[in-house]
Amino acid sequence: MIFKKVLFHTHFRELALNSLKTILELKNTGLESIVLTHIIPRDHVSFVPYGGYLKETETQLKAEARMRFEDWQELIAQQGIESHIRIEVGAPNAEILTIAEKENVDLIVIGRKKRTLMQKVYVGSHIMDILRRSHVPVLISKYMVQFEWENDQLTRTNDHIFERPMLATDWSQPSENARQRMSALKGLAKTILVVHVIDTKLTKGMNRDKRTEIEKESKKRLENYCRKIEQFGMNAEQHLSAGKTVQELIRLSRDHKASMIVMGKTGKDWFHEYWLGGVSHQIAELSELPVLVVP
Amino acid sequence: MRFPKAMAVLLFLFCFLFWSPSMIAETHASDTANVEHAPESPNGSADHGSMQTSSHTGGHANLGEVLPLWSCVPFACMLLSIALLPLLLPNFWHHHFGKVSAFWAAVLGIPFLWVFKGGAVYEILHIILVDYVPFIILLWSLYTVSGGILLRGSLRGTPVLNTIILIIGALLASWMGTTGAAMLLIRPFLRANNYRKNRTFMVVFFIFLVANIGGSLTPLGDPPLFLGYLHGVTFFWTFKIMPHMLTVSVILLIIYFFMDTYHYRKESVSVPADEAKEPLKIEGTYNFLFLGGVVGSVLMSGMVDLGEINILGIHRAIQDWLRDGLLVLLGVASLIATPIKLREDNEFTWFPIIEVAYLFIGIFITMIPCLLILKAGTHGDLAFLINTVEKPYHYFWVTGALSSFLDNAPTYLTFFNTALGSFYSGLTEAQAVPLLMTENAIYLKAISAGAVFFGACSYIGNAPNFMVRSIAEETGTPMPSFFGYILKYSVIYLVPTFAIVSLIFF
Repeated sequence: MIFKKVLFHTHFRELALNSLKTILELKNTGLESIVLTHIIPRDHVSFVPYGGYLKETETQLKAEARMRFEDWQELIAQQGIESHIRIEVGAPNAEILTIAEKENVDLIVIGRKKRTLMQKVYVGSHIMDILRRSHVPVLISKYMVQFEWENDQLTRTNDHIFERPMLATDWSQPSENARQRMSALKGLAKTILVVHVIDTKLTKGMNRDKRTEIEKESKKRLENYCRKIEQFGMNAEQHLSAGKTVQELIRLSRDHKASMIVMGKTGKDWFHEYWLGGVSHQIAELSELPVLVVP
Repeated sequence: MRFPKAMAVLLFLFCFLFWSPSMIAETHASDTANVEHAPESPNGSADHGSMQTSSHTGGHANLGEVLPLWSCVPFACMLLSIALLPLLLPNFWHHHFGKVSAFWAAVLGIPFLWVFKGGAVYEILHIILVDYVPFIILLWSLYTVSGGILLRGSLRGTPVLNTIILIIGALLASWMGTTGAAMLLIRPFLRANNYRKNRTFMVVFFIFLVANIGGSLTPLGDPPLFLGYLHGVTFFWTFKIMPHMLTVSVILLIIYFFMDTYHYRKESVSVPADEAKEPLKIEGTYNFLFLGGVVGSVLMSGMVDLGEINILGIHRAIQDWLRDGLLVLLGVASLIATPIKLREDNEFTWFPIIEVAYLFIGIFITMIPCLLILKAGTHGDLAFLINTVEKPYHYFWVTGALSSFLDNAPTYLTFFNTALGSFYSGLTEAQAVPLLMTENAIYLKAISAGAVFFGACSYIGNAPNFMVRSIAEETGTPMPSFFGYILKYSVIYLVPTFAIVSLIFF
């Protein structure tokens, strides 16, 4: 369950190298190889209206990307990690998923979309599409983000992202998969926060006894999760909360100083996945922390 | 001078010209005359595309008689931008074509609205609702539906197989649009021939036959014919061009087969032994049902009469709105039914259709004065053109020559209106078009064949040409330059073929 081979995709936006550096920490848990990936969106070079294909632009963009990657490769090599470069032209999400499959990677790392003052989300539709369709875990890296907390504009730098991961569980199989994946962080994570939120939608109209029963059952399950994590020789602490799941998870991550959020993919049917989005997708969009989504 | 500054100066100059005292004087004179002599539409309503369009809206009844020739300058500039900027400034054009289109639309639209007010509003709304919207909806639905059909398999590009692909493509083009047929077949065609050394001529003949000439049999085939359909040419009338289409296709296919056979033998290449074989199969076949729905919807709009509806002062047949709604539904159904993976494997992207939408709003708005002047017949400033273009072969060659270098859809509409202005000046479009289809069918055949066939003469003649070129270049097939395409292929193969068609039919 360790992350041996990682696909790191970048648009070379600002601080992309810093994002890469945070991933290099996985060397301590068995990271052996990184596939440095850059996809030039087809529309940038192709289908020039009534023209043709910008071959020279493609060559130039590929050369620029290769130079940047070669510079990064030196840094990666210094850590004793192998790397190779994939630069393609195509639809970014489709190409990333295809390369991930061909290269048989254990983890896809993608950067966040640049956030403007008007935007309230941290990821774009391409990233959401990858989250929905990937068969391997996807880490949305957010190295430096601005966010609002209690009416203050704050800036957060997410380095050492594996130090204090918060595993949010809804007891589903993807959540169990996510728990098992936590073993890949042994040696990096100081403490794993295991959290569960009893959604108010679930308990609405229930009597007190029923609620108490759900609370007890949830605590029992949390303890069980923590025990399993501790069996790997890792520290775990549990937190139970109630309310609106997404908002509560974000609050818990802030209150307990989580360094990243780890979740199982929670999309249900296609309608929910594409139009409403599961909890994992909403957290990926709204949290200022890096989010690891495990299918 | 920096680009935005130059644009601002041009815009100012045009506003100034439109607002000049002589222009206003002419306009008022025309207004007075129109109040006294405004012709009545035979059914008492403003039928769509009427040649006396604005008399019911309080606008200027005979704008075409008032508008000066230079009001066509933005249209010419719009088309020249399409022709020249991809060659001269490809990077700029690729990133700013929408702004260029908006600019030329503004150069015409702002002063036009300023001077002619209600009449200009009517004309702009009319061309958008009656021509642009259905045009884009049809292209979008055909593009979306055909983009959901994927041909897989390891075909081997022999002369016989390549010729068969070209025949299939040409046959499909009239039913799924030249864009749809070209997008369906170009990638399998290129894959089939990836082991061949000389592929350039193959792609060029693919552009000739699949992306252009094959689309001449129905209004679904090529945008000019759909514009004709929107203006009253019946769906199956275009079958009258079948002899012309077959003549051109047979000549080109014979030439292609001999060329391919010659190169195949000369190259003496063989399929790589380690190449994986994939059985031939078509995925997303349910999209053929949606395609049938598109054909049915277009046919329906020409066969039923559900009355008219007035939207923003524009009278439009209910069945036309219904057709547009059905086409949107069919496109959406195709999007829902087709897996994303299939579209990705087809390398489907929205960019080409967005380009067409951006560019054609500029084309349609800037062409308003040109169309109005042509509709005014010998009373308009383009009387010299109407008097010069007389014989069917004139129409064939002039429509064709302009379609080679300008997009063929607006060119078709221009000469369609020239013919109406020449033969039926004073009649409404609803009265004139059936007469043009029967009494003077040879002229409409010449315009239709000219617009569709000559679209193949250059990369800018028809939208799918540049898409095919782009895909071919992306996959490593060298394509000739703009002028190389014309001189090495169009002049050598197309022009003599069209001369034969002209001699036989016109």
